Amino acid sequence: MSAEMASTSPGSADRRRLRDLLTGSVTSIAVTLAVVVALGVTWVGPTFLSAGNVTIIGTYVAVPMLIAAFSGFALLAGVVDLSIGSMVGFSSATFASLVSFGWNLWAAAAVTLVCCLGFGAINAIAIVVFGADAIAATLGMLVALRGVSYILAGPNGSVAAFDDGFYGFTNLTVGPLPLLFVITLGVIVVAAIIVSRTRLGRHVQAVGGDDRAATRGGISVTGIRVAALLLSAFGAGIGGILYVGQLGSASNLTGTGLEFQVYAAMMIGGYSILRGGVGNPIGAALGLLVVAGTANILDVQAISPYFTNIIVGLLLLAAVLLDRLRGGDAFE
Amino acid sequence: MSELVSTSSLSSDRRAGSLRANLPAGWGTAATVAAAWVVLIIVSGLHRADFLSHQTVLAVSFTMAIVGILAVAQALIGISGAILDLSQPAALILVAYVVSIALTAGVPVALVVIIGVLVGAGWGLLNALVIVYGKLNPIIVTLATNFIGVAVMFLIYQNAQAPLKSSFSDFGRGYFLGLPNIWWPMLVLIALVGFLLPRTRYGRHTIAVGGNRFAAKARGISLRRTRFVTFIASGAIVGLAGILFAASNGPFAPSAGSTYQLPVIAGVILAGVSLTGGRGSIWLILLSVGFLSTVPTALVFFGLSSNWQAVFQGLILVLAVAIDGYRAKRLSR
Repeated sequence: MSAEMASTSPGSADRRRLRDLLTGSVTSIAVTLAVVVALGVTWVGPTFLSAGNVTIIGTYVAVPMLIAAFSGFALLAGVVDLSIGSMVGFSSATFASLVSFGWNLWAAAAVTLVCCLGFGAINAIAIVVFGADAIAATLGMLVALRGVSYILAGPNGSVAAFDDGFYGFTNLTVGPLPLLFVITLGVIVVAAIIVSRTRLGRHVQAVGGDDRAATRGGISVTGIRVAALLLSAFGAGIGGILYVGQLGSASNLTGTGLEFQVYAAMMIGGYSILRGGVGNPIGAALGLLVVAGTANILDVQAISPYFTNIIVGLLLLAAVLLDRLRGGDAFE
Repeated sequence: MSELVSTSSLSSDRRAGSLRANLPAGWGTAATVAAAWVVLIIVSGLHRADFLSHQTVLAVSFTMAIVGILAVAQALIGISGAILDLSQPAALILVAYVVSIALTAGVPVALVVIIGVLVGAGWGLLNALVIVYGKLNPIIVTLATNFIGVAVMFLIYQNAQAPLKSSFSDFGRGYFLGLPNIWWPMLVLIALVGFLLPRTRYGRHTIAVGGNRFAAKARGISLRRTRFVTFIASGAIVGLAGILFAASNGPFAPSAGSTYQLPVIAGVILAGVSLTGGRGSIWLILLSVGFLSTVPTALVFFGLSSNWQAVFQGLILVLAVAIDGYRAKRLSR
């Protein structure tokens, strides 16, 4: 596999990359996004693209997009982490509790992230070392961490942790775009460069695509998968902390169902939760923008948000069907 | 390696190996789960003697009933190699809703039960249509249909309930031989499916397809028909669970089914059903679901809030799939 790659000239590799780009998942998701924007402009009117509405969409999508940038590495390495929704809840509950005890923000954030990495390590040990099914194991972690969040949030169901400086930071804007959204875009670009331009990225793709071949190629499958699961937990941890900044508190419901929203959007964007080695952070970002744009259109038009879930579910089926027609795994 | 040189010793060795893989592995699982259950009961009983009461038996068997029935449906999906049906929560509540509406409208109970089972079977058919004709992975398809199903139900209603003063609700809250009425259908179902699965043509086809779909296909088993039969049968069983859910529960929202997802999957995996298909015992569900349903009651006696229930059940699932993965790894070596 690697020998074949090395033997093709850089020119043909570039051409192949261009062809893949034109027929690939990023293109179809970009077209879908264009359709959503066109729909928004014709249905809602020009206010859909007004600075105010762009800020609303950017604020809504920034944190999920940041989480997706990190958990995308787990999907790419072939180990899905379903626990991210509760990890976000656990992270915000822990962070808010520590802040409410009077801890310094940075110290609270550091301890919170270490705790998240600890639970991420349990995922990694169960899945990578023992060979547990990733979906079932992280589903267990999803429920366990939600229980921990309920315990941390206490009888009131929420922990107030308002901090002027942090709140102000999460609400800064650059033009019409929220600063958090701009930072997230930066993270997405860095992740995309790592995935498509570096040796590390190729190794992660190789591990997700065919772990036995990767082992024969001298890549540490264990190391990459453990690192990917830890990254996923870390990203969810950061997301939970940022939610506390945005909302000024943590609720025992923070992050509930986020894993389905994020993974549905990522699968629409070209990732797969069942086989690794496919997907690109840019596609994930576009997928999340499609979902956020759809939710925003329905919201502005005062249509029940449940229609968003119906549309996301149908888009998800369409995306996996498209992926299969493009040569993805067929299930019989 | 040297013992494997002669072919006769190789074949006998392999026979012994497969025997070890089939029989004692199942007994090992049963013994492990039963031991965990007994330890849990003894520890809880030593901590609080009043744990060992009829009240505890009622609480545990009440929880067992619906989880156990859903676990049988989930086990069929797993054994057939279709991995998991993540749309059980939506199907369960859809059936419960239809049943409640029909009863409120005055439809006779016998007809309502038939309608409930048919709605469940219809849901399974819908999943199978998308999976078979789209050639899509059941996990993603059922993830999407659950998502869509719950959302559609929220558009239709917020809270539903079967009429309280009816023979239907009386049955759901009644007792027979000291156990809840709804526990007995679960026992009958496990006995029926556990007996029929290895002894009927479709049952054996299901196991064969789950074990190795290409070998099954080569033997002339229709993959499509087996998928359809499995999903429709599994859906009909979820329908039965939905009927009992409506009979035994108070008002329920469209999202009420989600709490069953985890104990059901944990119960199926603890019963030794391999997520890769072809392996698993329906009988063991009685043990695994019994053990899992004892955990919440035991936690109450230890003075832990119901939130700890989620923590323990979640970690038990992580542990169970880790053991399952380790076992599969060792067998494949």
